[in-house]
Amino acid sequence: MLERLSSVVRNTKDFELVARYQQSGDALGQGAMFKPNMILLDIDESDDDASLIEEFTTTFKGASVICMSAKWAASDSETMAGAGARGFLIKPFTSEELQEAVKTFEKTGIAAGSNVISFFSPKGKSGKTTLIANLGMALAQKTGQQVGVIDADLQFGDMSVFFNLAPKTTIMEAVRDINFLSPVTLNSYFLPIAENLRVLCGTRRPEYAEMVDIKSFIEVVSMARSICRYVLIDIPSGFTPISIATAEASDITYLVSMISGTFEIQHMQRALEIFKAWPDYQERVRTVFTRVEPCDTNEQNKLAEALGYPKVSIIPNEYMLVSSAANNGQMAILEQPDSKFARFINQLADEIIGSKTHVRWG
Amino acid sequence: MADARRGTVITVFSTASAVGKTLIAINMAAELAKEGYRVCLVDLDLQFGDVCNYLQLQPTYTLADAIAAQEKEIENFNVQAFLTTYDRYDVPFGVLAAPLKLEEAYNIQTNDVKLILSQLQLKFDFLVIDTASTFSEVNLMAMEMSTIISFLGIVDFIPTIKNMKSGNDTIHGLGYDTNKIRMILNRSNSKTRIDLQDVEQLLGSEFYHVLPNDFGTATRSIKTGCPLVLDTKASPLKTELRNLVARYTGNPLEEVDGKEDSNSSWFSKLFR
Repeated sequence: MLERLSSVVRNTKDFELVARYQQSGDALGQGAMFKPNMILLDIDESDDDASLIEEFTTTFKGASVICMSAKWAASDSETMAGAGARGFLIKPFTSEELQEAVKTFEKTGIAAGSNVISFFSPKGKSGKTTLIANLGMALAQKTGQQVGVIDADLQFGDMSVFFNLAPKTTIMEAVRDINFLSPVTLNSYFLPIAENLRVLCGTRRPEYAEMVDIKSFIEVVSMARSICRYVLIDIPSGFTPISIATAEASDITYLVSMISGTFEIQHMQRALEIFKAWPDYQERVRTVFTRVEPCDTNEQNKLAEALGYPKVSIIPNEYMLVSSAANNGQMAILEQPDSKFARFINQLADEIIGSKTHVRWG
Repeated sequence: MADARRGTVITVFSTASAVGKTLIAINMAAELAKEGYRVCLVDLDLQFGDVCNYLQLQPTYTLADAIAAQEKEIENFNVQAFLTTYDRYDVPFGVLAAPLKLEEAYNIQTNDVKLILSQLQLKFDFLVIDTASTFSEVNLMAMEMSTIISFLGIVDFIPTIKNMKSGNDTIHGLGYDTNKIRMILNRSNSKTRIDLQDVEQLLGSEFYHVLPNDFGTATRSIKTGCPLVLDTKASPLKTELRNLVARYTGNPLEEVDGKEDSNSSWFSKLFR
């Protein structure tokens, strides 16, 4: 394996193999002579990953430590990040994967803590796709950290239409391949939208939805945690096996409804009743109403009261702005950054940034 | 001897929410009842069905109760005992309500629903089925059983149209007779920048019927609980809803006789 990996490194453009060791003791004792700026550390043989990694990160302060293992496990990310590792690779790797790993991890490194936020709507037509896309943009701009959007609204996900994308890889391929993926390779299934913002598109045809295995999908979500600071997930409306599983794997679930003057409050209340089965629902469940008019504190309080739940956010009705942006594959907050819509999206982003990071693995 | 007669099943389906399925299903049921047919309106939007909300009904029994009873003793099971009758305007029709509890809705088995629908078909001339906008197992079963699928769409912005397109492709891919699927456009003249012909071209089929945008009338109907077709007040939406049903049944409307609907002129009929 060492021989094979050495040759991959040697053959990768812009890489130079300065030294290699079979034993960690040799590397730690002698490696400094070669002034490495990157260390590829195999963690499969060690009994204590954390202290092994930490020894390397403290010894080689100027170098990025990228861990390697035959298989990725969600729990490893926490250990690796905690010990100061910058990234992770599945071994054996190819030149492309090595380059991709550097690109992926150079900015933010392996995420130590992340927020997975899912968006549930009782009945559909909630405005959640618009909300997620714009919110993702706002989070990416405000934090400068990686934001990933996953379109898990399997039958009728709109994210690719929304951004005008024709994805080659979608959630379907990610779920199919998950057993062979590492954070780096998963990253390439996402399509870049803007700086620090990328999206994993939904299935291309409604009938493909059936091919998405829920357990594997949840693994995709937990792996996405290690490459994104924020993971926003668009889930199908109503209670379905996938919407329930995703909400359970999320740190925060937003229940989203559009104000239409019919029975949206009742539907939200009924949905909330189900979420109240979680012992920590008050921390993990929030609500958003879209197309709220007038969009002010008074109305927000009224909605909270009608709903009987205090955590209510509101988004104003700017139909023309939002629909023309969507038709053009643009985001409303970029088209009109000074609009009321943009202001409320930014407010919601601040709310998310201010919330605690939970580490909820698997 | 011929087999027992089984009623016509009309399913109202769409791939986007909030396009008017419930409103149209209710009005179809009411109009058919008004024409003297025995009609049952079935709410298969199991989790968040609005039929009873719109009609202001408080059902004693729901689909979940009917299924429980059916499982208990199939021999003496009488599905009609589980219906709620809507008769506020002396045009009675039956309603099979969606389950009251979400957990009941979540656990409903498709085959049980199928048995219930078969029972209803023996008792009614028409079943009108309202659905949730997804290709769920229960919806696919209902569409399979249907005489007619009213596939409803609106033209507002690109994502909705993409879903209409993929939904339309999917439905046509299910192997039904093309004639069974009727595309209906709702809110035709709502504010949009998208041209109807472009949409038809994209979908590869023409709209069977077009309903005008009449948000005010529709909203009022939901507030009062009165189906538009039973309202004494005339409105373009009411007329077109009645026309749609008339086209389905083949019974011309008395009041609008002669000028049935402008979309399919007598002239074009000559050349069928």
